[in-house]
Amino acid sequence: MSRFGSVDWIVLVLTLLLIISYGIYKSTTEKNLKGYFQGDRSMPWYVILLSIMGTQASAVTFLSGPGQAYTDGMRFLQYYFGLPIAMVILCITFVPVFHRLKIITAYEFLERRFDLRTRTFTSFLFQLSRGLSTGISIAAPSIILSSLLGWDITWTNMMMGGLLIIYTVSGGAKAVAHTQKAQMVIIFLGMFVAGWYVVHLLPESVGISEALHVSGKLGKLNVFTNGVTENGFDWKDRYNIWSGVIGGCFLALSYFGTDQSQVGRYLTSETTAESRIGLLMNGLVKVPMQFLILLIGALVFTFYQFNKPPVFFNEVEITKVENSRYKDSLVFLQNKFDEVSVRREAIVKEFANAVASGTDENAATESLVKVNAESEKIRQDVKRIIASDEVRGDNNDTNYIFLRFVVDYLPTGLVGLLIAVIILAAWGSIAAALNSLASCTIIDFHKRYAKNTLTPEREYRLSKLYTLFWGVFCVVIAQFAYNIGNSLIEAVNVLGSLFYGVMLGIFLVAFYLRKVGSKAVFYSAVIVETYIILSAIWPWLLKKMPALNEALPAAFNGFMNTAGSIGFLWLNLIGAVGVVVLAWLFSLFGKKESGKLEFKKIT
Amino acid sequence: MNHRQQKVPVFKKWYHWYMLVIGMLILLIVLFYLFTKHFE
Repeated sequence: MSRFGSVDWIVLVLTLLLIISYGIYKSTTEKNLKGYFQGDRSMPWYVILLSIMGTQASAVTFLSGPGQAYTDGMRFLQYYFGLPIAMVILCITFVPVFHRLKIITAYEFLERRFDLRTRTFTSFLFQLSRGLSTGISIAAPSIILSSLLGWDITWTNMMMGGLLIIYTVSGGAKAVAHTQKAQMVIIFLGMFVAGWYVVHLLPESVGISEALHVSGKLGKLNVFTNGVTENGFDWKDRYNIWSGVIGGCFLALSYFGTDQSQVGRYLTSETTAESRIGLLMNGLVKVPMQFLILLIGALVFTFYQFNKPPVFFNEVEITKVENSRYKDSLVFLQNKFDEVSVRREAIVKEFANAVASGTDENAATESLVKVNAESEKIRQDVKRIIASDEVRGDNNDTNYIFLRFVVDYLPTGLVGLLIAVIILAAWGSIAAALNSLASCTIIDFHKRYAKNTLTPEREYRLSKLYTLFWGVFCVVIAQFAYNIGNSLIEAVNVLGSLFYGVMLGIFLVAFYLRKVGSKAVFYSAVIVETYIILSAIWPWLLKKMPALNEALPAAFNGFMNTAGSIGFLWLNLIGAVGVVVLAWLFSLFGKKESGKLEFKKIT
Repeated sequence: MNHRQQKVPVFKKWYHWYMLVIGMLILLIVLFYLFTKHFE
C-alpha cells in the first residue's frame, strides 16, 4: 500500500511548475482588451477544442466520474448525449452572430439586441453565479484531497485556486488556452495510465473481457437505459436516454451558449470556421472521452471484486464513527464486511473462469449477485450510522472511491501524477472562469459605465487587476465554503441552476423571438429570477418566519414551494421557459416595441 | 471576411459537418445499446 511519498511530491511539484512556466512563457499578447481576453484571436481549432474541454472538465469530473460508475453504473454517460446536438445548434445560431459582432463578452450582444440594462442584468447574474461557484469548485476537490492525504485545507485551497492566478493574470486568455492544451495532454496521459493499471492489477487469469463481464453482470455497464419501469416511465430517474438527449441538450446549450467562461474560449479564434470546428470536434469526442472515464470506474469496481474494498471510502467519516458510541457496531459490520469480501473473491474467480472457458456461468452469476447484495447491505448500514444524529457525517463517498484506489494501489510516482491530474483539471476550469469574470467586469461594467475613455494600456492593466481580484475572491470563498463540507459539489450544481435557466431564456428570446423587445425580456427575466431565488429559499424563509405560512394563501405557498420541492435540474427549464413565455405574453399584450435594426443586419 | 465566405474544412458545406456529428451520436448510442445488452 503506498501513500503520498517524496517521489509523488517531486512529480506533483514538477508537473505544476511545468504548467505555470508554460503559461508564463505563452503570456505575450498585445497590450489591449482583444489581446488579453481573446489571445489576439489567434487560436487554431485544436487549441479551442482542448480549451473548451479543459474548461468543462473540472477536478470533480475526474473525482466523481469513476466513483459514479462504481456506485451507480455507467448510465451517467447519457447526461452527455445532448451535448453534440447543442454544439450543432450553437454553430448554426450563436457562433456566427458572436463572431460577426466582434464581441468579447456574450452579454455585449444583448445590448445590441435589446438594451444596456438587459446586458448589465445578465452579466451581473453570470458574475454572481460564476464567482461563487468557482470558489466552491476550489473548495470541493480541496476537501477531498486534504481528507485523503491529510493536507492542510488552507494550503490545499491555495494550491488548487491560488497558483494558477500567476499565469492567468500575466497571460490572460492566451495563457489560459495554451496551459489548458498542455493540461489536457497530461490529464489524458494520467487517465490512460490509471486505466491500464487497473487492468494490470487484476488477477493474471482475468483479462479485460472477463473484467467487463463481471462489471456488466453486476449492472455497472448500463450505458443505455430507457427510464421505463413496470409502472411506466420514471420521471424521477435522473439519467436515461430521454433525459440525457433532451435535458442534456438544454443544459449544454445554456452552458456553452450563455456562460462567458465557455463563450470566451471559442471566441479566441480569428474565424467563425475555427470556432465551429472546435465546438463540433467537442461534440464528436466528448461522449467517447466520458465513456472512458466512466469505464475506469467500472473497472475499479471489478478490481474490488477480487480485492477487499474499504467498507466506506472516506476515512475521515469512519474516524468520526470510531469516536462515537457506534464504535462497536462499526467493528461488527467491518468484520462481517471482510468475511463477505473473502467469500466474494472466491465466487468472482469462479465466475471469471466460467466466462474464460465458455462454460455455464449462470450459477456463478447468481452467487455473485447475491454476495454483492450482502456486501451492499452492510455498506448501507455503515452509511446509516454515519448519517445518524450523533455522528452527523457525510454518508456519500462516491467522490472518494477513485482517489482512494489511486492512493492505496498505484505505485509511487503515479500517485503524484494522478493528484496532479486532479489539480490541473481544477486549474483549467478555474483559470477560464477567472478570465471570463474579469472580462465581464471590465467590459460590461467598468468600461461601459466609465465617464472617461480608457486608453488601451489602462484597460489592459485594469483587466489584470480584475483577474487578480476574482482570483483572490474565489480563494476566499473557498476558505469559507469549507464549512459546508462534501455537499459542495451539489451546491455548485444548485447554484448554477438558479441562474442558468433565466440566462438561457434571455438568449433564446434574443435569437428566436425577434419581435420581442427589451422591456418585455428584461421584466420577464427579473420576475422569473426573483421567483426562482424565492422558491429556492422558501422553505428556509417559512422556517424563519412561521407567520408567513398562515398569512399567505395556501395556493400561493404551494406555488412558491414548487421550484423548491423538485429536482434542481428542472430549475433550468423553469427559468428558460418562464422567460420565453412571459416575454412573449408581454409583447403580445404590452405596448409594441420595435426590435433593433442592427440585429436584423447581422443574422 | 464574411463567415459565409469562409472555406469549410474537409467537407463542402457545414451541413455535412452537422450530419457527421449527429450521425456519430446516433452510431454511439446504438453501440452503447449493444454494449449494455452484451454485458448485462
